[in-house]
Amino acid sequence: MAQISAREAPHLQQIDLTTLNLQQLSTLKQQLDQELNLFQESLTSLKMAQTKFQNSGECLEKITSDLEGRSILVPLTGSMYVPGKLVDVNNVIIDIGTRYYAQKDIESGKDYFKRKINFVTEQMEKIQVLGLEKSKIRDAVVEVMELKMQNQTA
Amino acid sequence: MADDLQRKIQSELEIYKSLQKEYSKAVQTRQQLDGQLNENQIVKDELNILREDSAVYKSVGPILIKTDLVEAKQNVAKRMDYIGKEMKRIDDQILSIEKKQDGHREILQKLQHQFQQAQVKAAMKA
Repeated sequence: MAQISAREAPHLQQIDLTTLNLQQLSTLKQQLDQELNLFQESLTSLKMAQTKFQNSGECLEKITSDLEGRSILVPLTGSMYVPGKLVDVNNVIIDIGTRYYAQKDIESGKDYFKRKINFVTEQMEKIQVLGLEKSKIRDAVVEVMELKMQNQTA
Repeated sequence: MADDLQRKIQSELEIYKSLQKEYSKAVQTRQQLDGQLNENQIVKDELNILREDSAVYKSVGPILIKTDLVEAKQNVAKRMDYIGKEMKRIDDQILSIEKKQDGHREILQKLQHQFQQAQVKAAMKA
């Protein structure tokens, strides 16, 4: 899960699109299209992560103290279950990444997922802003390309 | 003469192509390391939020093994240190490949220019 920085690379210099020839413009457009695709993919996987965290958070809502001692069926495999009893309804063990798991009580568990959802949402917003900017640049490139092509045929 | 030049261009082109491959591989590795570093940073932050007496587990295959929180923190810090070093190494590698690429690109352009000139000359003779 990489942090996305919103600032532009400082070494980029401004280029007047009209000074480029058609070939350069189409290369630029291809590059922009690729980047836009990448953004779209990132958005999709972030959306998936968001849903996962949301589901886990909702699951925690269902664990209440009156569930203690209730019998449940524990899945051993996808198709085999063994009966069990809920002994501890106050703590859950959460995957925090890189193969580490931490035990948390219900409240801090909920807090964890809330934080995660916020983090993912933030990243998504950043990507959306970046994507919008990129597609604006792409539109400008396409416009200049069309202009040049018209001039060539004229 | 023209054949000789063509052969030269061919071999330069091959070197250039293999450099490009090397470059994209290095960039990929760099991205992977960046992702790992970020993930470890997130885990580190999470471990720092935990209470001192919190139980921490590490998954080894399908089972979870209880670990000491301090030990887990140390382990993550060590990993981040290692990844940081690896990233520096790859960065240097990327820079040197870029330099090599630029050099070969120049040679290639010169050769192509020579080739074009030779062709023009041959056309004029004919």
